Amino acid sequence: MEILTVRDLNFKYTLGKEDAIHGVSFGVEEGDFVAISGPTGCGKSTLLRMLKRELTPLGEKSGTVLYRGTPLEDINDRTAACSIGFVMQRPEQQIVTDKVWHELAFGLENMGVPQEVIRRRVSEMASYFGIEDWFETNVADLSGGQKQLLNLAAIMVMQPGILILDEPTSQLDPIAASDFLATVAKLNTDMGLTVIIVEHRLQEVVPAASKLMIMDKGGLLLYGEPKKVCAELPSRPDLLAAMPSTVRLFSSVSGKMPELNGSAAECPLTVGEGRRWLESFGNSVQPEFKDAPELTTPYALEIKDIWFRYGRNLHDVLRGTDLNVHEGEILCVLGGNGSGKSTCLGAVSGLLKPYSGSIRIFGKDIKEYKNQSLYRNCLTMLPQDVQTLFLKNTVREELADAGASAALLPYDMESLLDKHPYDLSGGEQQMVALAKVLATEPKLLLLDEPTKGIDAHSSERIIDVLKSLRDGGMTIVIVTHDVEFASKAADRCAMFFRGEVTSTGTPREFFSENNFYTTSVNRITRGYYAGCVTLEDAEQAIALQNR
Amino acid sequence: MKSFKDYNPIAIFLYYALAVIPAMFCSNPVIMSISMVCAVLFRLVKDGPAACKKMWFFLIFPFAGMIVNPIFIHKGVTTLFFINNSPITLEAVMYGLTMGIMIFATIAWFTSFSSIMTTDKLLYIFGSVSPKIALILSMALRYIPLYGQQIKKIRQAQQVVGLYKEDNAIDKIRGGMRIFSVMVSWALENGIITADSMTARGYGVGRRSRFAIFSWKKQDFMLLAASMLLGGITILGIAAGHMGYEWYPQIAAPKAGLLTICTYIAYALLALIPSYLQLKEDSRWRSLQSEI
Repeated sequence: MEILTVRDLNFKYTLGKEDAIHGVSFGVEEGDFVAISGPTGCGKSTLLRMLKRELTPLGEKSGTVLYRGTPLEDINDRTAACSIGFVMQRPEQQIVTDKVWHELAFGLENMGVPQEVIRRRVSEMASYFGIEDWFETNVADLSGGQKQLLNLAAIMVMQPGILILDEPTSQLDPIAASDFLATVAKLNTDMGLTVIIVEHRLQEVVPAASKLMIMDKGGLLLYGEPKKVCAELPSRPDLLAAMPSTVRLFSSVSGKMPELNGSAAECPLTVGEGRRWLESFGNSVQPEFKDAPELTTPYALEIKDIWFRYGRNLHDVLRGTDLNVHEGEILCVLGGNGSGKSTCLGAVSGLLKPYSGSIRIFGKDIKEYKNQSLYRNCLTMLPQDVQTLFLKNTVREELADAGASAALLPYDMESLLDKHPYDLSGGEQQMVALAKVLATEPKLLLLDEPTKGIDAHSSERIIDVLKSLRDGGMTIVIVTHDVEFASKAADRCAMFFRGEVTSTGTPREFFSENNFYTTSVNRITRGYYAGCVTLEDAEQAIALQNR
Repeated sequence: MKSFKDYNPIAIFLYYALAVIPAMFCSNPVIMSISMVCAVLFRLVKDGPAACKKMWFFLIFPFAGMIVNPIFIHKGVTTLFFINNSPITLEAVMYGLTMGIMIFATIAWFTSFSSIMTTDKLLYIFGSVSPKIALILSMALRYIPLYGQQIKKIRQAQQVVGLYKEDNAIDKIRGGMRIFSVMVSWALENGIITADSMTARGYGVGRRSRFAIFSWKKQDFMLLAASMLLGGITILGIAAGHMGYEWYPQIAAPKAGLLTICTYIAYALLALIPSYLQLKEDSRWRSLQSEI
């Protein structure tokens, strides 16, 4: 039986010029796992909100949404709130109360459920999600991944029939993100819970999904089994960017070499399937890659043996960190949570003071930059949360506030100028913030997690912008979790572990020596073709086999 | 294992109210002394002598009372000696001592109270008035520190971008205003998400119930009943006027009637409850521990 039926749904925002959604019809079966993808602004978030009555935005709506055969409008308040669960993007802002146990009970309290029933359901859910250990903790002491897991658990105590997730992992680091998605997949298989999920990066979602939906410009482009949908996907970069690497590789190889199509008609979805698919090409010829040699320009940034801790009685976060960055290179610093990489960035930007060691910026000790001169024509940082930079009502005023000009960036900002900064997509916000930050004409640019919460296509545009800034002579240091981003953006990568830099190298050296902390293309090609890190590398290698 | 601090917070709160407040309103040295001895005893039993070091400092109050009161008050018939032709009387010394003991006893009670009553317990007590108040308090406790963190992030971000200076007072005020305005738009925009998250989980659908991790068990009711009974007798005794001492011109204890004696016994039992529960649990734990 269809748990959710959407018939000819149209929607226009009150102030919108055109339909945000038009002519969307589909059905979701009980127990389905539906993944939705599409470029930014295609209406996927709006569609999700149309499925949850309480969150439906203001505007003109036509068409029907049926939940178990009843139109959404006719369901009583209680059932509507309980049976359709909704998890949003930002873990922090969804949490309402101060204690973990109270957050779990919040929804049931709203329903007026008696205390004993709440006790039973909350304890059951806490043990299922492994929350017991931090049941009495303050919410403020949780990590981002734990917060999002709490949000999920707080919805599961209400025993929903269908779970809707709107980019739930976009603010999480990769490990927390895959843990979270694994939990969602487990709920789907263990309990037969129906799941509808929108994700920017589908690498881990598509293999678990029973259906894949591609949206474009407010309409439904494709809907069906993931393998079929992936095989039919038009080769548009904005649609492909979010897909798993195997799908992108398949799409580009079968596009360039139609004669290959016969050997494997099925589109591989997982790394394992991708490896089997690659086997059909053979590896008689090994590709040879040439990287640009390491720059010999003077150092823009020299970090020598710095030690730092946040409080006298706390443990060291930086333990003798050494790192050198050449002028005019892009260095990506990778590492797990709490490895100290963001702290290191804080020390370089002068916000944190190491208790030992030295930091030299353009040959001058950081302590000799007096009266904020460090932040004039010298160094600047794009913070992780770019909303900390916005204070005006339009982008135009925002840029004027910092004395920045949109022309600084090779990015067309014209259409954004009259919008409110908070109304922009994550990628657009990042660009506006970057333009604002560049107003001081820095020579050294620091970025903290620039791809957090951003779709894959925007992240490629950020890479283009950063590369053009580098070609203009700027030195760029990026702290990131995003392996795929680093493999494409960086001239050199550095690995942070327990407050130290443990290895550095070009992305190719760096990622082909790592086993786990590496790109998915590298995991697919490992053992077949040496040194493949990016999609282009793999394409090149496959092309060689065919000569 | 349930020692005194693990009882239901409402029962504990009522206990403290009954044990401390009546004792403050009768100028009866016997009650004061019982109160002081029991409060100190409970601290010693609960935390051990090492943790009570700071408490001994407050013993200065009884001594100070003994000295300061007779310097200013010269009432009383039993003159001990003269300073600058002013009589120092026994009555004034005794009264000062009693008041000092009262202050010391109150402090001793409050030190144990504050170590037992963590914020979530206080929240539970105030939230019992209505589930709505409980939610508002809980949200306040969540959002005030969160805003504090965000303000720090904003200041750092603005500083590194060169838009926030602290060179002089005017720059500081300007910078503060920038931060404030970033903070306001951030709070408003992100507040929408919280509001969505609340309505999505049915906030406002009907009458709220309330869940708390503290529950009422048999022992909690027993503690409550015992403190009500013993505290009730104490209050009755004090209210009936059978406990008041006359201090001036001559110390006069109340007549030792039945109610007076009952009140002393009732108050002593009341004040001993926490130490008794603590000691009982400790010994039970020791005997159980030997079997592990």
